[in-house]
Amino acid sequence: MTDIGNHESFSADEMLAAEYALGVLAGTEREAATRRVARERAFAALVAKWEERLAPWAAEIPELAPPPQVWERIAAALPRATGQRAGFWQSLVFWRSFGVVSALAAACLAVLLYLSAGSQAALVASIEGQGQRIFVASVDVKHATVTVMPVAYRPDPTRVPELWLIPSGGKPLPLGVLTADRTAQIAIPPALAAQARRDGILAVSLEPPGGSPTGQPTGPVIGSGRLTNL
Amino acid sequence: MDFDSNRKLIAAALAAAGRGDRNALQTIYRLTAAKLFAVCMRILDERSEAEDVLQEVYMTVWRKAGIFDPALSSPMTWLIAIARNRAIDHLRARSQNRHMTPIEEAAELADDKPTADAALQGAQEQAQLQRCLDTLAGHERAALRGAFFDGNTYEELAERMKVPLGTMKSWIRRAMIKLKACLEQ
Repeated sequence: MTDIGNHESFSADEMLAAEYALGVLAGTEREAATRRVARERAFAALVAKWEERLAPWAAEIPELAPPPQVWERIAAALPRATGQRAGFWQSLVFWRSFGVVSALAAACLAVLLYLSAGSQAALVASIEGQGQRIFVASVDVKHATVTVMPVAYRPDPTRVPELWLIPSGGKPLPLGVLTADRTAQIAIPPALAAQARRDGILAVSLEPPGGSPTGQPTGPVIGSGRLTNL
Repeated sequence: MDFDSNRKLIAAALAAAGRGDRNALQTIYRLTAAKLFAVCMRILDERSEAEDVLQEVYMTVWRKAGIFDPALSSPMTWLIAIARNRAIDHLRARSQNRHMTPIEEAAELADDKPTADAALQGAQEQAQLQRCLDTLAGHERAALRGAFFDGNTYEELAERMKVPLGTMKSWIRRAMIKLKACLEQ
């Protein structure tokens, strides 16, 4: 290692943390630093501080959408959902306490949720197919999230329901995979948020586990509904 | 969606993913994959390898979400660090040396135009970092850029900027000391 000269204002650990966070180390030096991050809390904290200092630089790199297969491969590698403990989204007190109410009441409750939350910009849609309301959805425009509650959805043995946003005159945009038995809260990607407005259509299609492999619906659309203001 | 809502949403989703909630991981993916893929592509410059690394990144996020400490890191910083480290590990594992294009300071300055991306990373932090980077000498900033964006090692930077290794180490270390002092003002 080269003498660091008049760099006495940094301890050796601080300099190593800076070099590791910047990414200039290689070989055994990098391996040793990686091990120390995993084992030494104080060193990990120094590295975290340097990562915090440098990370804003990454804002310069323009976003680049990965192909849909990447998420499919991740979803396929995750452990199956069965037996999983109740997650954050499902533990929302509101939905849990009203999980058994009727579809109409659910729609009213979606309204109340947003009124009570003081949101100025909420949209709701009743997603219906074959004369039945199968999901109820509400969009929180301000926070770009869509909350979807299953109502009369009957699970398909091999396929999963996937939610789509269809802007007026546009192609379906994938929002995420839904589940039969729990309310899903899905973040609307920043690129799509502007499309989640009044008179957009929310639709649900049946797709292979993990969601449509193509980015467009590949299975039957089982229901749809128009977004309306409260 | 603004920076603050995104930050809270990603932090909450990380906590949920740490408890085994797959939907939460998907939420994190939808919000951040385009940024992390861009970071991997910038370092690896090879699409299929960047896709493999992106998959590894989110599997790492899934495994480590439970130990994410919001007191230690902001969620985007934590995710970007995982992506950069994974991409750099792959880069280092390549058997052949990359062809190193020389870094010209003038080109670095011309390239030095940050684009605002305030949805995932705070505009204030970006502006402060930029202000402090601007206080560095051109060669110091160029060296840091090569390390941060291209994943270059000390040796590679020395080659690209045509200076001895010891000189490069001392440039980077001096630059990091100045950068920290400026950011803490």
